Amino acid sequence: MLAVSVKNLSWKYEHATEFALKGANLDIEEGSFVAIVGPNEAGKTTLVSAIQGLIPHSFNGVIRGYVEVFGEKVAEKSSLELAQEVGLVFSDPEAQFTAMTVQEELVFGMENIGLTVEEIDERLHWAVEMADIADLLDKSPFDISGGQKQRVNIAAILAMRPPILILDEPTSMLDPLGKDFIFDVLTTLREQVAMTLIVVEHNIEQIAPLADQIALVYDGQVVKVAEPREFFADSGFLSERHVEPPEVTALAHWLREQRYYNGPLPLKMDEALSISRDLLKREVK
Amino acid sequence: MSVEPTVQPTSIKKRRKTLLGFVPEESIFYNLHPATRLIIFIVSGFAPIWIDLPEINIAIIILLLVLFTVGGVDLSRLKIYLPMMVTAAIFMFGIRFLFPAYESGYIPLQVGPFTVYYQPIFWAFISYWRIFALVFASIFYFSTNRESDTLIALRAFRTPFAATYLMALSLRSAGMFMEDFSIIRQAEQARGLDTGALSLRDRIKLYTMYTVPLFSIAIMRATEVSAALFARGYTISGRPPGKKKRAVYILTLHSFKWLDWFVSIFFILLFVVIVYLQTVHGTFRIEHSPMNHFFYNLVTR
Repeated sequence: MLAVSVKNLSWKYEHATEFALKGANLDIEEGSFVAIVGPNEAGKTTLVSAIQGLIPHSFNGVIRGYVEVFGEKVAEKSSLELAQEVGLVFSDPEAQFTAMTVQEELVFGMENIGLTVEEIDERLHWAVEMADIADLLDKSPFDISGGQKQRVNIAAILAMRPPILILDEPTSMLDPLGKDFIFDVLTTLREQVAMTLIVVEHNIEQIAPLADQIALVYDGQVVKVAEPREFFADSGFLSERHVEPPEVTALAHWLREQRYYNGPLPLKMDEALSISRDLLKREVK
Repeated sequence: MSVEPTVQPTSIKKRRKTLLGFVPEESIFYNLHPATRLIIFIVSGFAPIWIDLPEINIAIIILLLVLFTVGGVDLSRLKIYLPMMVTAAIFMFGIRFLFPAYESGYIPLQVGPFTVYYQPIFWAFISYWRIFALVFASIFYFSTNRESDTLIALRAFRTPFAATYLMALSLRSAGMFMEDFSIIRQAEQARGLDTGALSLRDRIKLYTMYTVPLFSIAIMRATEVSAALFARGYTISGRPPGKKKRAVYILTLHSFKWLDWFVSIFFILLFVVIVYLQTVHGTFRIEHSPMNHFFYNLVTR
């Protein structure tokens, strides 16, 4: 079943001169992990805002086309319905805080969607464990590090258990350690939670091995959607659109050009090491 | 070569950061429900309004200082309020020197070139200690309670969720406004601006100019917070779908114990008694002040 279906979506923000999205199309299968990549100002955030319903509910502008979530049009759903179906974690961790302690921050969304105290308690413990933030519950959200803030935001949305979870550049404002923590959380989510995950991310090295599919957004359109190895197969197409493959994939491309290697493209370091070992063995023979 | 062991301080008071300062990590007052603490604050903060006697207001301040110590608050932090106390004294007494406000029956006093009158000066003295009893009660409250405690207390009093939420967002925006202001100032200093060398006129101009980036940032943040609220399914009424009653989870973590009932009832009764005694019997009026009698006898001798 399709979790998300974007059909010929065009969107122009109020007072903007150009459309941010220009007839974008994207289908996302339920339960899949989709990475959305592309250069700045390509329309990635606008696309996920439209999936979450912020567009057209919270922003003014001109819309053409539509977005469907589980077969129903987003424009026809209420904010409460959307919050229960699509969770959105923003890039700026601080801009999302609306409470005075981490614990209150986590329960806020659950209270909004009408859960009972018992349900809140059960989900709170689950989300805290998933995001590994048990020691932060009593702290002020402003008194913790950037990586911890973003984990709190992920836990806050996770606790609402939306079937679709979108993370819009969750690591863009974090230091390397904070980024690693977020990718650890994403790995845990991928392995343990049956959710449709949509992650807008610039860090292709780390997101590619996690994704089932990668979508390239360029100039307001989704210009390519494919399984990661297939996505990186045409490196020239990606380079023209300012997207570079992971270094290990780029190395394999070079080896292919030099006719040393003709196998599948690696996405992770251990895959690249295995290829290197095989090549070395062949050379020695 | 031997290495000297590092000397570890034996007692470091751990503190928690709040938007407006710090509170101790552990305090005897945390045994009380946040609602009880708010009641104590309201009573200790408002009672001085009904009390003219400086002796009692000074006693309240001394009692609050004892409570500061009992509550684990670092008394050295109170130093930051000293300039405020001095400035307030200069203004309150200075006005009586510059504008003595004579009425018949007032006792004139010659202080250098100034002719002042005893009664207005003593009223300034009364007001000064009354205000500071009130200020100290506020400092005490915010030194032993986090913003979230205030919200829990208000929610325990069944204040509408939207109102407490608005208050939380206001407190949050105040903290962020100060942080943005500090970043803008640091950026200016990094680019070589020496505000100490500026004339008063230029400083006023500079502060006026700060409003432009500060308001731009505030508008941007408001948009972001509004988007975050939308994503978390918040509606302006704060009511969940299906007209259900909102579950306030945080209240379930705090129970109102017998000690809370005892303390709350005691303070509420104390407040009622103070108001009753003053309005009906005038118990705390200036004419009952031993200090007033002493100084009056001194100046009329």
